[in-house]
Amino acid sequence: MTSRSQPAPKGAERMLADVPFEEEVVLVRIDMAGDDLEPLLERGIVPGCKLCPVRHAPAGSPTIYLVDGALVALRKETASCLCVRSALEAAGVLDAN
Amino acid sequence: MSAGEGAPRNDLPRVALVGPPNSGKSTLFNRLTGLRQRVANYPGVTVERKTGVASLPAGPVEVTDLPGVHGLSPRSLDQMVTRDVLLGKLDEGQAPDAVVLVLDATRLESHLMVAEPVLDLGLPTLVVLTMADELGRRDGALTASALSRELGVAATLVDARDDSELEPVRRFMEELRVGGEDARSCPIGEFAGASPDASGQGRRLPVVDLFAARRRRARELGRSAGFEPPRPSRLTRRLDAVLLHRGWGPLAFLAVVVVVFQSIFAGAVPLMDGVEALVAGSGEYLAATLPDRWFRSLLVDGVWAGVGSVVVFLPQILILFFFIAVMEDSGYMARAAVIADRMMHGAGLQGASFLPLLSAYACAVPAIMSARTVESERDRIATIFVAPFMTCSARLPVYALLIAAFIPQGPLLGPFLGQRAAVMLGLYALGLAAAVGTAALLKGTLLRGASAPFVMELPPYRWPTVRSIAARLVGRTKVFLRRAGKIILATTIVLWGLTQVPRTPAGEPPTIEDSALGRIGQAIEPAVAPLGFDWRIGIGLITSLAAREVIVGTLGTIYGVEDVDETTIELQDSLRRDLDLGSAVALLVFFVFALQCMSTVAVMRRETGGWRWPVLQFCYMLTLGCVGAWAAHALL
Repeated sequence: MTSRSQPAPKGAERMLADVPFEEEVVLVRIDMAGDDLEPLLERGIVPGCKLCPVRHAPAGSPTIYLVDGALVALRKETASCLCVRSALEAAGVLDAN
Repeated sequence: MSAGEGAPRNDLPRVALVGPPNSGKSTLFNRLTGLRQRVANYPGVTVERKTGVASLPAGPVEVTDLPGVHGLSPRSLDQMVTRDVLLGKLDEGQAPDAVVLVLDATRLESHLMVAEPVLDLGLPTLVVLTMADELGRRDGALTASALSRELGVAATLVDARDDSELEPVRRFMEELRVGGEDARSCPIGEFAGASPDASGQGRRLPVVDLFAARRRRARELGRSAGFEPPRPSRLTRRLDAVLLHRGWGPLAFLAVVVVVFQSIFAGAVPLMDGVEALVAGSGEYLAATLPDRWFRSLLVDGVWAGVGSVVVFLPQILILFFFIAVMEDSGYMARAAVIADRMMHGAGLQGASFLPLLSAYACAVPAIMSARTVESERDRIATIFVAPFMTCSARLPVYALLIAAFIPQGPLLGPFLGQRAAVMLGLYALGLAAAVGTAALLKGTLLRGASAPFVMELPPYRWPTVRSIAARLVGRTKVFLRRAGKIILATTIVLWGLTQVPRTPAGEPPTIEDSALGRIGQAIEPAVAPLGFDWRIGIGLITSLAAREVIVGTLGTIYGVEDVDETTIELQDSLRRDLDLGSAVALLVFFVFALQCMSTVAVMRRETGGWRWPVLQFCYMLTLGCVGAWAAHALL
């Protein structure tokens, strides 16, 4: 997880699995196919929703995210399919470049 | 099960409670119906149909608690059943007369996503926004009347635990009685069936766009209703900081596991002894009261013994389900699943499988019943399938008898590990290895498929209510006794019958070796001989189908040993005369693998909705048992 690696440059699209703790991001797209999408979509994990990694499970996986006020745990392989960008940038506070 | 079990039982007005998981739906259901509840499966599927009757001044109304769902698309069995009930495809083609849509007010915007497909059905609907107390406590806000205006249906903000706040819900249900046909005949709306989510067909938008659009509308609705999201729960944050902490989290988890395991394994023993004594005492009373005829033997040795063998599991089931109810209602169960997920993922399962598998060390029956907490159907079936490999307490008397008879009592690792303890540990490890291997095998064959993404919601911590826990325990007890009892009773009566014929010339029951059961044992001797067993063990294998530990009593009967248990020296001596070490180890290995427990088969049939999985499992475990026993006998 990037919570332990170098943060990506602001403005770039990243995978959710690479976002450090406490950084709020906005979901851009989901790189996942078929019916596997629906459990995510039904819980409000849709493009445009805000996500924020809160903590890892004690064994390091899954990771718990704050999704519009609710806590949701996702495994790394799922978080690696969610393409996000910084919420500040999405709100126009940061320059995308 | 019969089709009738899932069907409505009368012509009372019917209200369906619909809503996402953890929305307070079951709390509301328990408040409205008290303990007047019935639990059955919908016809042909394993989804539970919970119904109860709300007694209102205008008359009774039947209330159905549908499974918690996030939508009505047919991606899961729960959602499919909910959709079919609401569309009138189940319950003898009758849609409910009205819907109570239960949404968590603290999570209004994401929960409103399920409102759209439900309201599209056009059924008379009341939206009940629960957790009003928490919304206020955490500085959130919502105007129910404004939301009602936006949605076009009545809406009320309540704390579902507070009975006095449920008046609007009762008034809504009473309308169905006093409003007569007009109130009950509201047609299904124009979007039903054509609705992309309700029908599961003909989606007009790509699925992501559909949900994104729904999410946007939910947000706009929330804004119009003055929804202010509550600040995050401080209690939840503080507790999670400990319970999901890298060091403290696993320790707390381990403590919970030990308490649950110890309670089922040891704490239940006095209660089980009490139940056994009660059954035995009442059986003796019956035996003393009734004349000495065949029906006394049938009643006491067949029916009473059969009932006793089922009822004795009740304390373990109640204790396990008490812990499950407390953990689910408090919010800890989701955390436990998250903590165990990594370990279980390695075995091809998921975190929620952990507790059922742990409890299977006490008994596979409650373990299989508790596998309902596993959301993914594939993982639930895999959990059920591997649970009987865990070393249940019924195997212990068999292990203890054979180990005491054949394994010398000496040290293996100095003062730390004796030979007998090492063999016992080895048997536990063998069962665990078989469970892990079988899970991997299943996930690579019959249950193959891309594993569904693990998406686990962690609800805020809350105090469980006594009423909710009591309702669940009562429901579980009824389900267990009704479903498992029937098959066990039939099995024990058949086994009893086989010990009673042919009668002796004096009209007495035969000795066990001359009985039909004994002859069956002798007939199968050629089949069990390669495993190192003779006809006596063959009979024991048949009788232990009722429950594993029965073999100890059977061998006692055959060898003419009275007051037998696993520590009886006389029985150990007899076994040493007839069996060599290879045969004894073969018998141990057979009991590690084989599914010698009709209660497990019966419960599995109920929980998987048919005979396919129990038959497959019985044959698979029997094959493993025979191959393992043959190999052990051949090697030693």
